[in-house]
Amino acid sequence: MSQFSQVCHALRRKNWRQYALLSGCSFFSVLLITAYVCMMRSPTILSVLPEGGDSRKQVMMVFVLAVVGCAVFTTYAAGLFFRQRSRETGVFLALGATRRQLRAELGKELTALSLVSCAAGALLGGPLAWGVWQLFRLFLVDSQEMALSFDPQSYLLSLAFAVYVAAMLFFLGSRSIRRTNIIDVVQESHRSEPVRAVRSWYGPAGIALLAAGGVLGYFFPSFCIRTLHWYPPAVLEGLCYLPALAGLYMILLHTVVNGWRKGHAYKDIISASMMKFQGRQTVRNMLVMTLLIAGGYFASFYAPMLRTSSVYSFETRPIDYEYHWRDDQSLPGRDEVEALAAEHGVTLTSWAQEGAALLGTDGYASIEQDNGALGTTYTKEYRELLTGATFFSEGAWNALTGQRVDLAPGTCANVLDDEGGSDYLAGGDITLVTNTVTGKALSVTPVEPLRFTMLLGSYVLDDADYAAMTTGLTDLWRETYVFFNVADADGSYPFAKALFNEIVDRSGPEVEVFNAWNPVERDIEIAEAGSYRYDSRAYLAEHGLSIIDYDDRDSSEFRTAWLYMPQFRVLDRNDFVTTMAVYLLLFVFIALICFAAVIVISFTRCMTIALTNARVYDDLRRLGASNAYLFRSVRGQVSKVFLAPSLAGTALIAAFYVMIMYFNDNRFTSGELAGMGVCAAVVGVLSAVLFLVYRLTLRSVCRTLNINRG
Amino acid sequence: MLTVKDLHKSYRVGKTTYEVLKGVSLEVADGAFVAVMGPSGSGKTTLLNCISCYIPADSGQITLGDRQLSDLSGDDLAQVRNRQLGFVFQDFLLLDGLTVRENILLPAIIGGAVSGQTEARADQLCDVFGISAIAGKYPAEISGGEKQRTAVARALINHPLLILADEPTGNLDSKSSRAVIRSFEQARSALDATIFMVTHDSFAASFCDQVVILRDGVVWQVLERGGAERSAFQDRLLDVIRDMGKE
Repeated sequence: MSQFSQVCHALRRKNWRQYALLSGCSFFSVLLITAYVCMMRSPTILSVLPEGGDSRKQVMMVFVLAVVGCAVFTTYAAGLFFRQRSRETGVFLALGATRRQLRAELGKELTALSLVSCAAGALLGGPLAWGVWQLFRLFLVDSQEMALSFDPQSYLLSLAFAVYVAAMLFFLGSRSIRRTNIIDVVQESHRSEPVRAVRSWYGPAGIALLAAGGVLGYFFPSFCIRTLHWYPPAVLEGLCYLPALAGLYMILLHTVVNGWRKGHAYKDIISASMMKFQGRQTVRNMLVMTLLIAGGYFASFYAPMLRTSSVYSFETRPIDYEYHWRDDQSLPGRDEVEALAAEHGVTLTSWAQEGAALLGTDGYASIEQDNGALGTTYTKEYRELLTGATFFSEGAWNALTGQRVDLAPGTCANVLDDEGGSDYLAGGDITLVTNTVTGKALSVTPVEPLRFTMLLGSYVLDDADYAAMTTGLTDLWRETYVFFNVADADGSYPFAKALFNEIVDRSGPEVEVFNAWNPVERDIEIAEAGSYRYDSRAYLAEHGLSIIDYDDRDSSEFRTAWLYMPQFRVLDRNDFVTTMAVYLLLFVFIALICFAAVIVISFTRCMTIALTNARVYDDLRRLGASNAYLFRSVRGQVSKVFLAPSLAGTALIAAFYVMIMYFNDNRFTSGELAGMGVCAAVVGVLSAVLFLVYRLTLRSVCRTLNINRG
Repeated sequence: MLTVKDLHKSYRVGKTTYEVLKGVSLEVADGAFVAVMGPSGSGKTTLLNCISCYIPADSGQITLGDRQLSDLSGDDLAQVRNRQLGFVFQDFLLLDGLTVRENILLPAIIGGAVSGQTEARADQLCDVFGISAIAGKYPAEISGGEKQRTAVARALINHPLLILADEPTGNLDSKSSRAVIRSFEQARSALDATIFMVTHDSFAASFCDQVVILRDGVVWQVLERGGAERSAFQDRLLDVIRDMGKE
């Protein structure tokens, strides 16, 4: 050995564990982020997640979380690596190595390390995402929509993260040899980083801040919109959650430094002091894990919540089959349906067919003003003719629903869901109804809303009022609603599918529109501007709105957004999983990524406890500590690494979810309660998985420290 | 050989500044074996670290041979550390991934000057310090005394003008301490080394020609051994230290 590079090579061989840990962490971070990016930017996913929609925002939110988590985690691993190497660096400097010499060697090492780990992570991230997705398709559900394709541009985001990892490695590496005090460099690896004194009120204050931040973040936008008539910028909405983040940090700080249990001051003295003196890193890691666990749960709740609440809504429908059409369309009537049913061996047990009308309604328009960075403000302006809605006569209503409604002349009832909720979707009270063909208007008084989820958002008028207001309407403004039941609804799927196809096949291009398309708004907009935005496919595509295509009748977009989508219970129930497969599995995928990150971070954190404190445990053994005592001490630390973030993350997401569910419409619907029950089961299963990982990690740490449990 | 003039060094911890060296001046002659003693906190190790240029001094001059160290650039300082100074640390600072022989050769490897001659010198040093038998072993496989003798051999590999030793016997038992001191004496007699050693150990210091006693960051006394017997010099040292405690 005669050259400096040979010395470095020998030391690398000796310290291969440190290199493996850093390479592994970098590789894993880039792998996860690449897999996530490939999936998030995949045309398959983008085509089903509407731009600006909640699902896409949620995917992006968890992505940001994953990026922050992986960045903090990789930075932690790099910091640890350079701390462990600082003794060697110090010795080299002390013996006269120049910084240029060290920089050259470090440059070679880090180039190789970051190239190999980042390139491997970036290269394998795509195949990983593809492999997991194919496993989903193979074992869970497959549909035409699930054919996965990747956008090569997504690799740019992955590359950006890989560049961050490499740049961070070079920055920390260069900082580690730049210091002028060589003694500090030599002693760096022994230096602890104590957290400043943490007062006992940190824990309770953290909980209060967390709750306050959650409430502020959730209610601030609706307060601004409803009370101040101001749509605040998204950044400001995000900032409102900052107190929650600070609160979470304080809670974890209190947990690490003070602990929550009083008494037995000396019982956990070793594990508590070790945790305390790895201060900032411990708390930062725990914070990342907490957020990733919360993000993982948030994603993993999506599928059960959607499935349970949807299945619940399908099951509670009082009618097996509902479909409706605009009267200028030629759709199958009773004879044809009965004939089709007979072909499939299905017997109809009831049939109700009633007319409805599309009438104009009054209301308050929002006149928006864009204030640039300050967001958008709006003023409310009353319009006698604002939008349009479906109206039933009370006779037709009673015939369809089986209810006995008798409205006074001059009154109008809005229709809410079966439990009297979803008023935010229902249109609300109106005071003026207009026949847009004849121009005839009728002042009405809103009365107690009716309840019927299948006709949510429609209105009911007194029979005489209805007759008067619909006189002169052409077929373009009239609709027909059909409700029927069959003898064996569960066994009638082939019939349901055939009827659905028949309905779609016979619907014309003029009704190939999504559910926000409104004929009254269309007329108003054409009169004012010469065209209607929602008639333009280019506009819909540009704004991420649903584009309805009869050829994609099995897509989630079509099934959830076609204006004339029938409600066939057996069809909706059976096709639910395949229709929503992309949504459901995307969120399962995200949950997998988050929990994989949590597991790797916690395992790495615990193993570094073993690596950095091996000497302390040897000393304790020399001082006469029994295996049982050492085991308790290790368990105290490992369990804290797992337990505190798991508890905090689970509690955080549970509270947030309950808040979202409740404040959607100030109540819990039965479907939401059922969904939350399933989510609780998911928490149970995932907690069991985390517990298993905790046990395996504990065993691994004990093995590394030669601590025998027995 | 080494001249230190009016050296000042302070540390800042939070808002408090601790002045550790308050104008230290001393001289070490060529071929001398000098010890620095003093109570904890008197500034011994700080003085050594400033001379080694491991930590920058606030003010004052350090001259090694004819070069003023405070004027040197980073690369020149590295060259001085590599070619003109040899270091022996209290906790040895051997690299665990290198064998005893490779550790000894390390300063030469860093300086890019490993020749057959250098390797022969490494073997000679192993021989002089009685570590030839363990030359192929790793630091984890040898005793504390052997580690320190390896560190002394490493300090000598590049024929330095001056060996700086920080508590070289601090982590050793008495037998190993004797072996290390003997190795310093051998270095001086066989290899013409000049040695500047910080120590708490009056036994180790009693082998030196001169003992500088620091107190509260200034030179309190300088004791010359002259022709005195080692044990008599140690007694004298102990008396002085006792007197310092009384004041």
